[in-house]
Amino acid sequence: MKTRLSPINVLSYCLLGCSLFAGAAHAADGDWKRGRVYYQKVCTDCHTAKAGGAIAPNSRTMADWTSYLKADKHAKGKESLKKYASKEYRVSVKATNKAAEKYADVPDEQLFNDIRTFMLKGAKDGDSPASCL
Amino acid sequence: MRAGLCTMTVMTTLLVGAAAHGAPDPESAKLLKSTSDHAKFKVLEQDFKTGPEVTKACLSCHTEAAKQLHLTQHWTWEFLNPDGQRLGKKHVINNFCTSVASNYASCTTCHIGYGWKDDKFDFTSQVNVDCLICHDSTGNYRKQPGLAGNVVTQPMEIPPGSGIRVKPIDLKKIAQAVAKTSRDNCGACHFFGGGGDGVKHGDMDSSLASPDKALDVHMDATGNNFACATCHMTEGHQVPGSRYAPTAQDKGGAHLRGKEYTTNPTTCQSCHGQAPHKANAKLNDHTGKVACQTCHIPSYARGGIATKMSWDWSTAGKMGPDGKPLIRKDAKGHVIYTAAKGDFVLGENVVPDYMWFNGKVKYTLFGDKVDKGEQPTLINHFEGSASDGKSLIWPVKVMRGKQAYDPVNKTLAVLHMAGNDDTAFWTNFNWERAVAVGMASVGAPFSGKVDFLATESTWPITHMVAPAKDALRCRDCHASGGRLEKVPGIYIPGRASDHAGWLDAAGWAIAVLAMLGVLVHGAGRVIVSRRNK
Repeated sequence: MKTRLSPINVLSYCLLGCSLFAGAAHAADGDWKRGRVYYQKVCTDCHTAKAGGAIAPNSRTMADWTSYLKADKHAKGKESLKKYASKEYRVSVKATNKAAEKYADVPDEQLFNDIRTFMLKGAKDGDSPASCL
Repeated sequence: MRAGLCTMTVMTTLLVGAAAHGAPDPESAKLLKSTSDHAKFKVLEQDFKTGPEVTKACLSCHTEAAKQLHLTQHWTWEFLNPDGQRLGKKHVINNFCTSVASNYASCTTCHIGYGWKDDKFDFTSQVNVDCLICHDSTGNYRKQPGLAGNVVTQPMEIPPGSGIRVKPIDLKKIAQAVAKTSRDNCGACHFFGGGGDGVKHGDMDSSLASPDKALDVHMDATGNNFACATCHMTEGHQVPGSRYAPTAQDKGGAHLRGKEYTTNPTTCQSCHGQAPHKANAKLNDHTGKVACQTCHIPSYARGGIATKMSWDWSTAGKMGPDGKPLIRKDAKGHVIYTAAKGDFVLGENVVPDYMWFNGKVKYTLFGDKVDKGEQPTLINHFEGSASDGKSLIWPVKVMRGKQAYDPVNKTLAVLHMAGNDDTAFWTNFNWERAVAVGMASVGAPFSGKVDFLATESTWPITHMVAPAKDALRCRDCHASGGRLEKVPGIYIPGRASDHAGWLDAAGWAIAVLAMLGVLVHGAGRVIVSRRNK
């Protein structure tokens, strides 16, 4: 049986395509420099002080980081990783962390994408492997 | 129909959501950065195979850019010293990797051009100017050593035979994302001077790519976030503030907008003026004798990356028990010996040396007579004194080393270090062969003998400016054994060399006598008043 798409459906699928494209483009276009600052000054600072040391982006492959970020698990699965890039978290530490203060108003997903972009770029097999400094 | 409407509603929500998610503020911020989106330029929609192809595309719009670059030290690697010495990387010899001559393909990795592999490089070529090394914003643009400044656009093994595969870079993507220069661009070379991260300068290393306030108040990535060009204010690609032409003392005021200046815009005074200390005006009395950097850069190599403090080439060439070139590391994992380079001493959080400096620097160049004496040969010499009216006390890094020279002709040696040939020192570890080729490359005579002599070079410290709270305190200098203890020609109250025992004794005697006078006078008053009662 042949199904004919109504104009409304065609428009809907166009919009779906656009939204997916927008999402993908957004994921690809993170601000790696902002991600770097947040990774170094918030993630690494806290890890160094409270979690046994820094984790360099170049200590993992892009595939490792991709699956880690996708899993959204932190502290051995006890918490959401995204929590630590959230506005709520940034506001909670901004009195003592200048990077959190500087980026306090950046939307959560955007900042997370920036961090992701930096981590993948800085991965062992990334375009520009990065240490913690 | 209803389902379609429903789907459309959901999709519209998603799209609007995505747009909102795109965050208007950052988009606006991105928009306001430039009037051009290079990703929309047809000429950049090419699968570029080489760097010069990209430059050709750039020049199709930026028609005069290459000609501007041709006038810069970044391109020529030459600088004519006011005293007539021909300087610049092309001509000087230092006590790190020593010289560019006969090592072009390796050293020109940091040239802003493509293809400088020998002394026949065409300095008039416009397409050989490398636009991307300064304007890449992706952070992915890389020049690999040994390729004469060319880039990798096909998978390659570098160095040949090493088994290390280098990924090609995406020139199209990089060209479409060009931007104003950033710390990462300048740092790609300047952080790595001397053959590695932080090796040469001490006040410049990769920790400045994203520093915090404690490391540098101006470049603080979470605060002021200055680019290098914020101070090194560039016009027509001419970058001011070269160490070959330093401004040791700026007697001018803060630069005002709209006013034209011919003086160096990179000095502290060009922003902060002559009386920058508001809370404690007494500190302004120091600015006629002490460079700002002296107090405000209490130490260098503070970002966690060690700088080389000495380099002894004379021990190079040792093989390990396995017959392979030896490498030794210290407890922190820093390399302190390699067969290719010899022994190093590294330093972190280093307190600078201090000296009078008037901006003039004299160099020991190829062909200048040197001798192995008790004093080290000065690779460069900072001129200045307390009395010339042009000098300030500056913080410097003094790099000490032992390097090869010809003991018969008494000249510093030009080494052929890098290259895929059997005369390069890093290939065969044979000094005589490496120096013979090096000296021949500059047309200098060579006796066939190689010896080593002690050398020193001096480097100004001017980056890594600490927050005011971390600046030097009075006691750091006005005390015995203070930082300026060895600086001659000036009276600094409190330091040991300015103590005169007789003056101290006289002062104490006067104080004691004054106290006695007060006591006697007081006692007299008391006695007289009792009598009167």
